[in-house]
Amino acid sequence: MNQVSTVTKISAPTIASSSIDEGHRTRAMPFGNALIKLAETHPEIVGMSADLAKYTDMHIFAEAYPDRFYQMGMSEQLMAVAAGGLAKEGFVPFATTYATFASRRCYDFMSQAVAEQDASVKLIGGLPGLTTGYGPSHQATDDIAIFRAMPNMVVIDPCDAHEIEQMVPAIAEYHGPVYARILRGNVAVVLDEYGYRFELGKAALLRGGRDVLIISTGFMTMRALDSAKELQADGIDVAVLHVPTIKPLDEMAIIREAKRTGRLVVTAENHSSVGGLGEAVASCLSMNGVSAEIRRIALPDRFLAAGTLEVLQERYGITRSAMSKNIKRWL
Amino acid sequence: MNQHANLHNSRLEEHAYRVRHNALVMAETQGQGYIAQALGVADVLTVTYFHAMNHRPLQPDWEDRDRFLLSVGHYGIAHYSVLVAAGYLPEEELPTYAQDDSRLPMSGMTSYTPGAEMSGGSIGLGLPMAVGMGMGLKRKKSKSFIYTLMGDGELAEGPTWEAAISASNYQLDNIIAVVDFNQVQADGPSMKVMNTEPVVAKFEAFGFYVQRVDGNDLSQLVAAFDRAREHAEPKPRIIICDTKMGCGVDFLEGREKSHFIRLEADDWKRAYAALEKGAGK
Repeated sequence: MNQVSTVTKISAPTIASSSIDEGHRTRAMPFGNALIKLAETHPEIVGMSADLAKYTDMHIFAEAYPDRFYQMGMSEQLMAVAAGGLAKEGFVPFATTYATFASRRCYDFMSQAVAEQDASVKLIGGLPGLTTGYGPSHQATDDIAIFRAMPNMVVIDPCDAHEIEQMVPAIAEYHGPVYARILRGNVAVVLDEYGYRFELGKAALLRGGRDVLIISTGFMTMRALDSAKELQADGIDVAVLHVPTIKPLDEMAIIREAKRTGRLVVTAENHSSVGGLGEAVASCLSMNGVSAEIRRIALPDRFLAAGTLEVLQERYGITRSAMSKNIKRWL
Repeated sequence: MNQHANLHNSRLEEHAYRVRHNALVMAETQGQGYIAQALGVADVLTVTYFHAMNHRPLQPDWEDRDRFLLSVGHYGIAHYSVLVAAGYLPEEELPTYAQDDSRLPMSGMTSYTPGAEMSGGSIGLGLPMAVGMGMGLKRKKSKSFIYTLMGDGELAEGPTWEAAISASNYQLDNIIAVVDFNQVQADGPSMKVMNTEPVVAKFEAFGFYVQRVDGNDLSQLVAAFDRAREHAEPKPRIIICDTKMGCGVDFLEGREKSHFIRLEADDWKRAYAALEKGAGK
């Protein structure tokens, strides 16, 4: 077997990128910058990281407010519980690590020291879903499912820089535990063109369409919007409902849109097919007696391969082109 | 010992008796439970609440209070015993222990009970929580201490040591950790389940000011808590308290399988009598 010919030389950006598709503007470090701006007027905000400040855009907060940043070292469990302790004393900690560690490693600690005690901790996970080619240790394909199962938790998967910047003050304002998976570094700017404003717990219809309704979250909304434009050329009219808050789910908006008959419903997420947006939408519609033909774009229920990000995203079907191709096939 | 100290200690003895009595009332309601731990740790909790801590039982959220974190959630019975003795909760509630809709659940939780600062039970949360609160109190320039009660079995939990590293790194001298070293855990003798000794040397190596005392000797405890508060170095503090499971009720002391005890109806009467006799009543 001649493996050599299939081997792609990997460069750093493809190992861990924010998955910006061609043609989009970008803004640098939206999470870190938004947190710095908010902290100016909110002394209760503090930052924490478990040795991943630099890779979650927390490092610029640490530079701006060194006395309001706690380096917790490689101790994610400690960070989760200590964040709960800071919250008990009236502070609003934003604690960052990678999404895999935030979810898998911190589960009991978030559950018992934060969620059960209704502590106002904002746990921020970098590298959501398949945004790194490092392999399963770093691919957070199950973080949404994990935190959806935890009572009291709010779970958010923002789409772009515009949304992350608006989400930061919104979750700081909300009293209670929040998990948000974020894009870092240079992040695409997409939703401002749609006059979009982030509202906690609210879905937003970004465009209407007669043939297909894509219900999407995270950066898959960017791809849904691009796919809709692409399919327009083929005479396929696609609506896009963006659902950044996966818990609590905006059931009203989902039911309202899915009830409009004659449209194929497609859910799209950068997450495992188990326990994410697709299952949440299917459950919502089924339990509310709404019958709709549903298809799902999600990562498969298995440990994904390591390799080049572009190749992996195409292989597992979450690129714009894979989305367009599948929708045409399903119609 | 001067007259004042004698009087103080005899008051503490009376409180410790009341704490043990309260625990028996709760355990009797269920016919079983973590009574041996409650009896064993009664002196430690008595000194914590009636000597060391600055607190207001009628104002559990008073900002300047010292915080008490029950890390070992199943010690709820012991904690409620001292909370009732201190006036946080009325004595009439004791028989509701572990009943439906009671404020005294079997595992201590903050949302249920006035004076319960954290939900423990998932073992190993106390010291990490103390780290966060310690950071928070320092930010607020508070003089308050955080006491956290841990069990000896809990020393096998990884987060305890993550927290120990961090407490030392951040010089959290407002933490006073207390370990109830009763040598018993669910699967057997603690040091056979997992030998965590030498505990003193370990915590010293982690940067703590460490004391080890007889946890059923009120005078030793009073002195240890005083030293912990007054210690000058900017180090977190820990008091290892060697205690006797079932202490104060002779036929329960040293009982082999004592993590969770079931007693017959007659035995409860014997237990009250033994407690009274032991307290010289």
